[in-house]
Amino acid sequence: MSTIDLTLQIWRQKDSDSQGHLQIYTLGGISTDMSFLEMLDVLNEKLTKEGKDPVAFDHDCREGICGMCGSVINGVAHGPEKETTLCQLHMRNFKNGDVLVIEPFRSRAFPIRKDLIVDRSAFDRIIQSGGYVSVNTGGTPDGNAVPIPAKTAELAMDAAACIGCGACVAACPNGAAMLFTSAKVSQLCLLPQGKTERKARALAMVATMDEEGFGYCSNARECEAVCPKGISISNIARMNREYLKAVLLEG
Amino acid sequence: MWFVRFVSSSIGKKAIMALSGLMLLLFLCSHAAGNATIYMSRAVFQGYADELHSHPLIVLIFSSGIFLVFLVHICVGILLFLQNRQTAASRYSVSTRVVANPLASKTMPYSGLCILVFVLVHVSGFAFGPEHEPIAETVKRLLGHFFYGLFYLVAFAALALHLSHGFWSMLQTFGVNHPRYNPLIAKSTLVVPLFFLLLFGGIALYFMTGIGASF
Repeated sequence: MSTIDLTLQIWRQKDSDSQGHLQIYTLGGISTDMSFLEMLDVLNEKLTKEGKDPVAFDHDCREGICGMCGSVINGVAHGPEKETTLCQLHMRNFKNGDVLVIEPFRSRAFPIRKDLIVDRSAFDRIIQSGGYVSVNTGGTPDGNAVPIPAKTAELAMDAAACIGCGACVAACPNGAAMLFTSAKVSQLCLLPQGKTERKARALAMVATMDEEGFGYCSNARECEAVCPKGISISNIARMNREYLKAVLLEG
Repeated sequence: MWFVRFVSSSIGKKAIMALSGLMLLLFLCSHAAGNATIYMSRAVFQGYADELHSHPLIVLIFSSGIFLVFLVHICVGILLFLQNRQTAASRYSVSTRVVANPLASKTMPYSGLCILVFVLVHVSGFAFGPEHEPIAETVKRLLGHFFYGLFYLVAFAALALHLSHGFWSMLQTFGVNHPRYNPLIAKSTLVVPLFFLLLFGGIALYFMTGIGASF
């Protein structure tokens, strides 16, 4: 089992109202089989034993499907490995003696709560404004009653893979939430059940996205490059079409 | 009102940038077609210019139209630039771009500014140049200066850089993104800026190097 020694520069911030700063820690004997979060666990155990405040970070499933974890490692959201969440990033991606700068996902719409934890409830409010299908009555429909072409189902599934981690916002030079919002708009507008409300949905979700203080997309493609679920910016193009159609015809 | 909603939304502003960008691109095409006559002969070029200016109403409508489109593209562009800076100015102590070639998209406001400066110089030199001089003579005289020509070359390079992000970005904003056409769009994003760079740059080089002294 190989081990590495690291120097960490971690963003420490007491709460939303405090000024934060980068704190330097040295950590030795980290197994390369550890995940990034396990490495932070080791640091936190050490800090706790020393009577210091451990580094606060979000995490839940630790298997790359819940969307809770995520930090910016040396300027890259979720770290250097493609299509991987921070919890599934392993320390074998780093070399002995590496200096890792660990910062929270930053955006005007994501206030920092503590250290690496940011408040991503702006995403929830975007979903609440239209990221659903209204089914108000009736029994459970038969699974095959509405035929859906396999290709369409695949596209919807690709969009539905979004776990809402916020890496797209963190990586966007403008802090835009277009990839997230477009994945949700796409997932629903592609399927027959979601087509009924497609115009109202596009209008409402884009309006909420703008109100929450996210920036404007300038097609820099950074979101797509860091997305742990490989969500394509073709979804952004689809949302542009959806929105333009909706606003010109029913806005 | 739907129009206010459209204009004030993020996607609406982008659509306005894309639409005005498309109009500017179409103007550039017609301008390039006219200028290409320089490669044929002085007589053809002068003939084209004289023909164009024998219809002052058409020239007036088109030039004021293009002025308006320019104004919209610049104003909305500046607005987007300022608002985006508010959202995301120097957020990280280490910032890394993951995308392979971010130069064009990073420098859009600056390459745009270069083009604006160029347009001001260009219009004051040619459209508001000496009144009784034939345009072919003005072209030869102005571009004959080495540094004037060099300035034009730099501006054309900025234009090519601007288009190398702008062309693709415009289509993406209109929602044109399809696996069948994406390879074609990717190629066009290289070909379109190169085409204008070669066509316009060739004219500047022709005169500034002295080859066009007999024009």
